[in-house]
Amino acid sequence: MITKVLATLAVVITGAILLYGTADFPAFGDPNSPASAGVEGGAPSISQYYITKSYDDTKVPNLVTSVLADYRGYDTMFETVVVFAAGMAIFAILRVFREDDDGVPNATHSNGNSFTDGDHSRIIVGTTVRIVVPVIQLFSLYVVAHGHHSPGGGFQGGVILGASFIILALATDLETALSRFSEKSYFALAAIGILIYAGFGVLCQVLGSDFLDYGVLQKIFLTDGPEMARSHSMLGVEVGVAFTVTGIMFAIYANLSSRGTLKSGL
Amino acid sequence: MGDQLPAIIVLAPMFGAMFVGLFGNRDHRVCFPIVFASLLISLCASIAAAQQVFTSGEVIDYFMAGWEEPIGIGIHLRIDSLNALILVLISVVVVLVSFFSIRRAGDQHTEKTPQFYILYLLLCVGLLGISITGDAFNLFVLVEVSSLTSYGLVAMGSSRRGTHAALNYLLMGTVGASFYLLGVGYLYLKTGTLNMQDIHAILQANGEIAESNAVSIAFLLILVGIWIKMAFFPLHGWLPNAYSYCPSTSACLLAPLMTKVSVYVMVRVMIGVFGVEWVFVNLGWSHLVVWLAVIAILAGSMLALAQREIKKMLCYLIVAEVGYMVGGAWLSDPDHWGLTGSLYHILADAMMTLCLFLAAGVFAKRLGAIEIKDLEGLFKKMPLTSVAFVIAALGMIGVPPTAGFYSKFYLIRGAIEGGHWEYVAALLISSLVNAVLFFRIFEIAFFGNKPAEGHGHDDHHEEETPNLEAPWSALFPLLASAAIIILLGLFNGPIVDLLRESLEHLPSIVTTQAD
Repeated sequence: MITKVLATLAVVITGAILLYGTADFPAFGDPNSPASAGVEGGAPSISQYYITKSYDDTKVPNLVTSVLADYRGYDTMFETVVVFAAGMAIFAILRVFREDDDGVPNATHSNGNSFTDGDHSRIIVGTTVRIVVPVIQLFSLYVVAHGHHSPGGGFQGGVILGASFIILALATDLETALSRFSEKSYFALAAIGILIYAGFGVLCQVLGSDFLDYGVLQKIFLTDGPEMARSHSMLGVEVGVAFTVTGIMFAIYANLSSRGTLKSGL
Repeated sequence: MGDQLPAIIVLAPMFGAMFVGLFGNRDHRVCFPIVFASLLISLCASIAAAQQVFTSGEVIDYFMAGWEEPIGIGIHLRIDSLNALILVLISVVVVLVSFFSIRRAGDQHTEKTPQFYILYLLLCVGLLGISITGDAFNLFVLVEVSSLTSYGLVAMGSSRRGTHAALNYLLMGTVGASFYLLGVGYLYLKTGTLNMQDIHAILQANGEIAESNAVSIAFLLILVGIWIKMAFFPLHGWLPNAYSYCPSTSACLLAPLMTKVSVYVMVRVMIGVFGVEWVFVNLGWSHLVVWLAVIAILAGSMLALAQREIKKMLCYLIVAEVGYMVGGAWLSDPDHWGLTGSLYHILADAMMTLCLFLAAGVFAKRLGAIEIKDLEGLFKKMPLTSVAFVIAALGMIGVPPTAGFYSKFYLIRGAIEGGHWEYVAALLISSLVNAVLFFRIFEIAFFGNKPAEGHGHDDHHEEETPNLEAPWSALFPLLASAAIIILLGLFNGPIVDLLRESLEHLPSIVTTQAD
């Protein structure tokens, strides 16, 4: 009881402080707010810079992508590392290697079609999933590849691709999904994803510039100027992000749903 | 190559982690060489960077992706004389702990060795990245990296209590990180930038913004967030269980570094983002925070006194030490001796905590000693480990040649000049408590548990004590950290000079005529 009272008190005080602070915030959507227009004494406004210059710098129409993957690409790389670390932590905590299952009944998946085996309701689900999964995967590739031009990119595309494997595991069983996307391969995929991202960065260093300074990659992409090289590299790092997110999405599902045994999950 | 140092420091362990992920599962024996090599690269790079900073006296600026102008559009890494030392400290500690991990990692989770090392390396990436960055949001991202990996490392132990402690740690840590992020958000709304230097310039130049409530609240949110992360007394609840029930290697890695890096972040935010003048003069919270620190020191010491388990006791000592550092940083004495002492204590305390936790890990492993009373006959059983343990303990008490003495000396000097007598008293009481705590252990370790029976009766016991000395993989880091504690103490003059120089070079420090 006393802890509840104290917790409520803490929440109320924090909320009051936060609200008090908002009193001298700039008005919502104010074009002259510090974040949009910059302030006296500081550097010129960065959002103005992004809005006016990012297309010239990178030839990427989607402003968000150019900020995410180029101007602040270093942050995004570590966001991907966060995802990777989450997968590793899940594995470290949940994965068990005991031979004996803890009480999960043996689903016999013998030869035959695992999509339509079993009772009749699975026929409908299995058939639907079999049709839908390739479409989902194709769409995820579109989301990854089209991140420059429309909302999307590596994280979103990776989640969709990972979800396509999860849906497979839900409709059939975990082992069928794992036979297509094994533990070894999803962790390798996740590591390779980050290596792709960081590899782009190191490649820039090797070519004599700073980490992730994609402009110098024009020597490799043979583009007209550094701008298109930036645009291509952004696609490259988005693919890396998508790899990692796909691998880890499925890794988390596989470990959570089977309590770390990787045998017949939900 | 030279100008790429900041990137190499952070990225070497990250590449190491990915290579462990790719190749470690096939053959666990490749893990350690990769880990060691990548940490060594990081260590060499940070030493080279520190040397460059100290010889040239200039700051190393590194603009990620080359976005330099206008400042703030890209991410800015920055090594100045303040974080150069922290970087070297972190990389030394992680290299030493990696030796300790050789046998340990395999002990409980043979199949999970690669994952353990991946989390280990990514934690190093997070800590190094936190220390090197000059961008307030990038700092948050790396706090996420280091927190997430440390939750994993804490939960990896086999005990259920460890998992529970990790959950508690996760909840508290997430609250802390959210507070920090909220603070950065408020700050961004008022200043329109995330670059620390730029924020600082704006707050210096623009009085209207600097005095607004939103900025004060931003500072409060950031401060509370960091305090949760460093386990400052009323917010310390997650620390003792998390650090005492986790695998020994994780404890050795987390205990010396997480809290200390958080203290560094607090100091960096105080002097590098908001500016000392703003924090001490405009805000005027100095007395309040020093009193909080006094309470933290006393509470930490008293709670340590009440513990029976070795690691729990050490954990509460960390809580007290965090009080030292927070209090020291907020003493606001005119010559900044408090700040100097606090920074010096980051180095000293990291090494002392490392040494003590390594020793506690060895005790648990070789003697099965969880409680203090299990340490009977320790000095006979493992003489070299005991030497290292005693040196670190003397450092915690504050006996002269060790680093612990000098940090207390500078802290007390700052407190006297700042007129914070309550802090002086707390520091002395805490030293006294440390003396009681450690001499109690020495007594048990030397004379055994039963003082009433006299020493003669124990003789037959001691003859049959086998040689339980720790293996070299544990002894080397132990003795190395003990040696560093003494070296830090002996060379306290030059180190403090470097720190003071770095404080004077930071634009925000008001140099007074007295100095």
